[in-house]
Amino acid sequence: MRRFLDILSLFKEYLVLALCILISIALLSLNDTPQIRNIRAVAVVAVGFVQDALGFIPNYFSLRNENAILRERNVSLASEVSLLRDSRLENIRLRKLLELKERSELAYVAANIVGKNRQPMRSSVTIDAGENQGVRYNMPLVTDAGLAGRIVATAGEYAIGQLLLHKDFRASVVIERERVDCILAWEGGDYLLLKNVPRTAEIRIGDVIVTSGLSTIFPPGIKVGVIASVELHQGALFKDIRVLPAVDFSRLEEVFVVLHKPDSNRIALEQRVK
Amino acid sequence: MRRYLFLSFISFLLIVFSTTVVNFVAIGNAIPDLLLMWIVYIAITQGQLTGTLFGFSIGLFVDVISGNDGMLGLSALCKSLAGFVAGYFYHENKIEITLSSSKFLFAVGTSALLHNALYFVIFLRGSDVGWWSAIVAYGIPSMLYTTALAVVPMSLFRRKYQ
Repeated sequence: MRRFLDILSLFKEYLVLALCILISIALLSLNDTPQIRNIRAVAVVAVGFVQDALGFIPNYFSLRNENAILRERNVSLASEVSLLRDSRLENIRLRKLLELKERSELAYVAANIVGKNRQPMRSSVTIDAGENQGVRYNMPLVTDAGLAGRIVATAGEYAIGQLLLHKDFRASVVIERERVDCILAWEGGDYLLLKNVPRTAEIRIGDVIVTSGLSTIFPPGIKVGVIASVELHQGALFKDIRVLPAVDFSRLEEVFVVLHKPDSNRIALEQRVK
Repeated sequence: MRRYLFLSFISFLLIVFSTTVVNFVAIGNAIPDLLLMWIVYIAITQGQLTGTLFGFSIGLFVDVISGNDGMLGLSALCKSLAGFVAGYFYHENKIEITLSSSKFLFAVGTSALLHNALYFVIFLRGSDVGWWSAIVAYGIPSMLYTTALAVVPMSLFRRKYQ
């Protein structure tokens, strides 16, 4: 026994490393159990509270920058408002003509970003709105510019949002002008990628990408970005399309959580058919 | 015991710090990994065992606050290995020399490279993104940035110990 303990003591560093590796691998395969969700909720609250207290530091540094951007945006918005006013009147007239059902207004919860977890290809943000404000798992995150991500974890007063610039992020989108449905993904870099766009589709640089009605997570019509480049390789069935995100992730400070719940009847029906 | 509590408290503060202020010093894809630097420091001053355990605990905490992205345990695995590797630079009678010399930079660089390589190999399994291109685009710039930033504590230790 003593000899055994001596051997253990001699290799304790290796044994501890092996134990750590085993636990890590076990966690990687377990992941989303209720116990882990509870631990995550406690950790998010603890870190979010301190991040909130340190929130003044980023605000101080970015205030000047933000003012300049807001002034610029104000000028462009003023001209856009007059255009939108005309469009709205036209829209009302056309809706009446077509007797379209009025789309339900979406409810939003405003939140500040109190922490940015910038691990390579795994960006997430901590926001100061959580379950108490009605924020739930998978709700979309947007800014005034467009889609920013989705909620992946919630606690009482805080939640964690996964940004578009995450290797696991996928969204069903549509090219607004051509009405071509495709899948949005990110594989590194500053641009998003459009997948499954057939080579016959007439796509132009500058075309706007919005979320499609096919998604169970995102309501349709949220701007995602604009097409930055279109490439067609010889013999390929699909086009390689890069999309510039509408949201500037380096300057992300406030977001809105869209209180959008997926249609449970629709999901149930789709699952039944599957 | 008190020493470990103190190290744990500093670790917690650094985790919060790295999710608030560090974003402002990121250059493109290169994000300095202050936590890794801290784990290397712990391994050099406390030994391989403590370095591995702190690496595991810090990594696990980072995983927990990263949200549910199916990767709980990834940072814990990478950072415990980084702590273990950095532990090879531990010599009880040469702690000051290691911290105030280029050995510290070498320890940070080696641990960061191994950490980032393992991170991408596991993180990108089953994905369309090649792990080698991810290491070149993200892993190596971050490793270089973290190593360059380690010059600051190294200089401070040099001033302190000389």
